[in-house]
Amino acid sequence: MSVSTDMKFLIVDDFSTMRRIVRGLLKEAGYVNAEEAEDGAVALQTLRHGKFDFVVTDINMPVMNGFELLSAIKKDDALKQIPVLMVTAEARKEDIIRAAQAGAAGYIVKPFTKATLEEKVEKIMLKLAATASAAAAA
Amino acid sequence: MKMNDLPLSGIPLPTEAPPAVVFQQLGAITRQLHDALNQLGVMPKLQIAAQGLPDARSRLHYIAEKSAAAAEKVLNAVDRAKAEHATLNEQTRLIAASVLKDPVRAVATGEVLNFLGEMEAATERVDQQLTEIMLAQDFHDLTGQVMARVIALASELEDSLVKLLVQAAPHEVASRTDMAPLDGPVVDPQGRTDVVSGQSEVDDLLASMGF
Repeated sequence: MSVSTDMKFLIVDDFSTMRRIVRGLLKEAGYVNAEEAEDGAVALQTLRHGKFDFVVTDINMPVMNGFELLSAIKKDDALKQIPVLMVTAEARKEDIIRAAQAGAAGYIVKPFTKATLEEKVEKIMLKLAATASAAAAA
Repeated sequence: MKMNDLPLSGIPLPTEAPPAVVFQQLGAITRQLHDALNQLGVMPKLQIAAQGLPDARSRLHYIAEKSAAAAEKVLNAVDRAKAEHATLNEQTRLIAASVLKDPVRAVATGEVLNFLGEMEAATERVDQQLTEIMLAQDFHDLTGQVMARVIALASELEDSLVKLLVQAAPHEVASRTDMAPLDGPVVDPQGRTDVVSGQSEVDDLLASMGF
């Protein structure tokens, strides 16, 4: 997976306004390739039927929440290398730690700024590029 | 009067009772609860509060709808404004190039004046979108009023139930287990040590754990 602004994002949140905002911000950061899902179950289906490079997800969602989605992604061999960025109103320390331990690539609390989203996405991109080149060199 | 003092029907609830017996027991307990509530004087208030609940549901629905509609209006206005801005940016680039290449020609052919006219019109349209965004905030007024009513209802309900709890509490009260699985946004972080307040605290926490 090569890091570029062509990367395909999946935005997961049960609140359509939030999905639209995240999509708009990603677009301004140069990432124009994005799709949306309203809960973890729909997200999982979408991921399995498409080639996605990045997941941005809320936690509090019906049917399947963000934690369950994260766990499902990490358990799936075809999906586990996709970075998952949590963007959520959940601010409890135990949730943050839980997400990190479950393999989340980052954690953003709502309300967030454009700068924060860009910074975290960029950070994950850099990490991806680093692991990609390390793998290539190996 | 405490709930424990109320005489139950006397028959202990068997673990594998036939449905009819269980039903009878429940009926007796319900009757006694009803009587207790009446005696506590909580019943009328509780009834009013309970009756208000379907109304509260529709009020909350109204709030959600109004807020969503406002957000959509605003985001649409933003889209339009940003599109104007993008076009303007492009035109500015072109005219700048033209002026650099041949300033006299750019003015003489009317290109510059043309551009200035376009710019005036475009910024006027952007301003209109800003006004749209301002107007879309009117939902705050309406939802605020409706929220006040729902809060009043919830307070009534809470008061009645607390009164009931206080009256009915046994001597040893079990400790409150208040951990909801997911809390949602933190409304008041004051004095809480189990939550973070802000992105920098999130980053610090993760960094301290080696993430």
